[in-house]
Amino acid sequence: MIAVENLVKSYNSNRVLHGIDHAQQRGEAAVLIGPSGCGKSTFLRCLNQLEVADSGRISIGGVTIEGGHAPRNAEERDQQRRLRLQAGMVFQSFNLFPHLTVLQNITEAPIVVKNTPREQAETLGRELLAKVGLAAKADAYPAQLSGGQQQRVAIARALAMEPQVMLFDEPTSALDPELRDEVLRVMRQLVEEGMTMIVVTHEMQFARDMADRVVFFDGGVVAESGPPEQIFGDPRNERLREFVKRVTTQ
Amino acid sequence: MSNAWRSSRVTFGSLLGLLLLAGTPSLVFAADHLEQIKQAGVLLWGADAEGGAPYVYPSPEHPEQLTGFEYDLAEALAAKLGVKAKMVQNQWDQLIPALDRGNFDIVLNGLELTADNQQHIAMSRPYYVYTQQLVTRRETEGLTNIDNLKGKAVGVLSASVAQRLLEKTPGVDLRLYPGNVESFRDLKAKRIEAVVLDLPIALFYAKPDPALKFSGDPFAPGYYGIGVRKQDATLLAALNQAIVELAEDHTLERIYQKYGVWDERQVALKDYHPEVVEQRKSISTIRDWRTYLPLLLRGAVITIEISVLGMALAVVAGLALVLTRLYAVAPLRWLAQVYVEVIRGTPLLIQLFFIYYGLPEIGIRLQAFPAAILGLGLNYAAYEAENYRAGIEAIPRGQTEAAQALGMTRWQSLQHIILPQAFRLVIPPITNDFIALFKDSSIVSVITMVELTKVYGMLAMSTYDYIGLGLMTATIYFALSYPASIFANWLEKRLRYDRR
Repeated sequence: MIAVENLVKSYNSNRVLHGIDHAQQRGEAAVLIGPSGCGKSTFLRCLNQLEVADSGRISIGGVTIEGGHAPRNAEERDQQRRLRLQAGMVFQSFNLFPHLTVLQNITEAPIVVKNTPREQAETLGRELLAKVGLAAKADAYPAQLSGGQQQRVAIARALAMEPQVMLFDEPTSALDPELRDEVLRVMRQLVEEGMTMIVVTHEMQFARDMADRVVFFDGGVVAESGPPEQIFGDPRNERLREFVKRVTTQ
Repeated sequence: MSNAWRSSRVTFGSLLGLLLLAGTPSLVFAADHLEQIKQAGVLLWGADAEGGAPYVYPSPEHPEQLTGFEYDLAEALAAKLGVKAKMVQNQWDQLIPALDRGNFDIVLNGLELTADNQQHIAMSRPYYVYTQQLVTRRETEGLTNIDNLKGKAVGVLSASVAQRLLEKTPGVDLRLYPGNVESFRDLKAKRIEAVVLDLPIALFYAKPDPALKFSGDPFAPGYYGIGVRKQDATLLAALNQAIVELAEDHTLERIYQKYGVWDERQVALKDYHPEVVEQRKSISTIRDWRTYLPLLLRGAVITIEISVLGMALAVVAGLALVLTRLYAVAPLRWLAQVYVEVIRGTPLLIQLFFIYYGLPEIGIRLQAFPAAILGLGLNYAAYEAENYRAGIEAIPRGQTEAAQALGMTRWQSLQHIILPQAFRLVIPPITNDFIALFKDSSIVSVITMVELTKVYGMLAMSTYDYIGLGLMTATIYFALSYPASIFANWLEKRLRYDRR
């Protein structure tokens, strides 16, 4: 479902990703962990082309892009958009559209991008809102919601495009601890339904419980990767050992 | 204008008060201004050298120097008084109020010896006999006197005798120009059919021009005199004496010959006997508001039309500009940026002149109304583009990212996500600009549009009630711009989405 080969990304002279390889089966949930600045968010943003990699190959759901340059023509822009449509993205800071109601936030992209008829988009939107437990908030504006509620709307918004893969970029980091659970609950539900997911997070409990695979990023490379029992119970990499010790004693 | 007018009076009054307190014989100032001039050694004379040939104008060979028959006359008069002459530049149709304010000692600039002019200032005996001359394009036939001008567009200098003359001729489509050059340009551009003006101006500008001709004989003779403040009686007497002497020793003739404005009519100067000018009662335009308010409101309609259409153009063109500047391919992007910088960095007045008087030279001949809208609209478009840009750049990067992540193209995310949010942000600055444009629109009077401020100026000049008319005019401006801000507030509130 996901295949990344030798992904390299620099900002000016600062190399952030040193050739990442990553493959993932349909229905697999991967959790990316690692210290701040290790490149895990950049990796995620390269996957759906919010950043353009310097080199390497990205393939999601059968759509492939070779890194190295921003799209130069209509055809390449189209290919980029096709790749993006394979992946739904949930941001740390929600990024809901403040001028649209909750329901409109969800229906806007299907209507604009996929030409879905409005009624059909709204039916789907209400179903998704019910799924994330916010059916009653359809007509509210984002500013009227708590952070946890906003993030759940953002998940519904991404799901409305019916992506093959869901990408979560630190979805709970901007939330107060008491609001994190409601978001994590929705994410657990998605894992259980068999959604292919990559989650960048500091929620170790979530990684332990829900990940099929945990990937430890360090210094722009994948330092260690494996099932949660191995990563948390028997880490081989020295820095991973330190990292696990630090996050579990917190 | 009216504010400066009033405040200067206040300063003048308080100055006088200070002098009294200090025990200085204050009447010296009021009664014997001549003595002061002699002490200072300088006679300040007010005139308009812009398009002022052949009266007073920058010398073609030495543009930093002035020349003209009135320039020479001022030198000769000052010599008679034993002082030096110094010209003070002032817009022609505001010379009398400026004299009254004390900006200079005398007005020496083709000021006609009429009862109107003598209501507020005193005037010397005449120094020149002028006539009116009708000028047309060379090929025009049959427009030989003002009775032929019915239904024709005719240009005159604003506040001139010709204006007053033609206002009494019914059915003439009168166009008022701020200077002498512009009316001939419009005549040649076929925007108007004829120009009526004082003969010396016609001799200088129209006579040498092969495209124009003098049509019919000179008519409506009158005198030019020197304007002084009413209280400056000794100065007036000295000037009268000097004029008589300059006529008798043929200095006047020599000067007028030099500039080609001498004719046999000037002989009549010697035989001049002043007529007693009947002082009219001062006019209160506020008491007579039924007469004056409708005239002002008619000007206000033009102001509204120009402002609304100009702003509509600015808002649309500004959006096109900012989208080009932010998202188009490189050369277009630079062009949009250059446009914004050039338009913001040059005066609106010059842009208007360029559109109205410059474009006809490359065959684009716009009437005053569309030219005014185009000028204001294209000028404000540059400012609106910058407003939009500020609005667009204020939308967090995450909004574009979220839209892109959902598969929207750049244009889709602009249209559905960024611009709707930016629009609300720019309502206050755009409203601000609309109100500014609304008042700026008075500048289009330089291309013959008679809008609210121009009507005010014309009425004020004939009634001298700057305060009453000023209050009425300001009230109209306020009554029109205040609802605009209320509407903008309402719109801003309506588009609010961050309420909790």
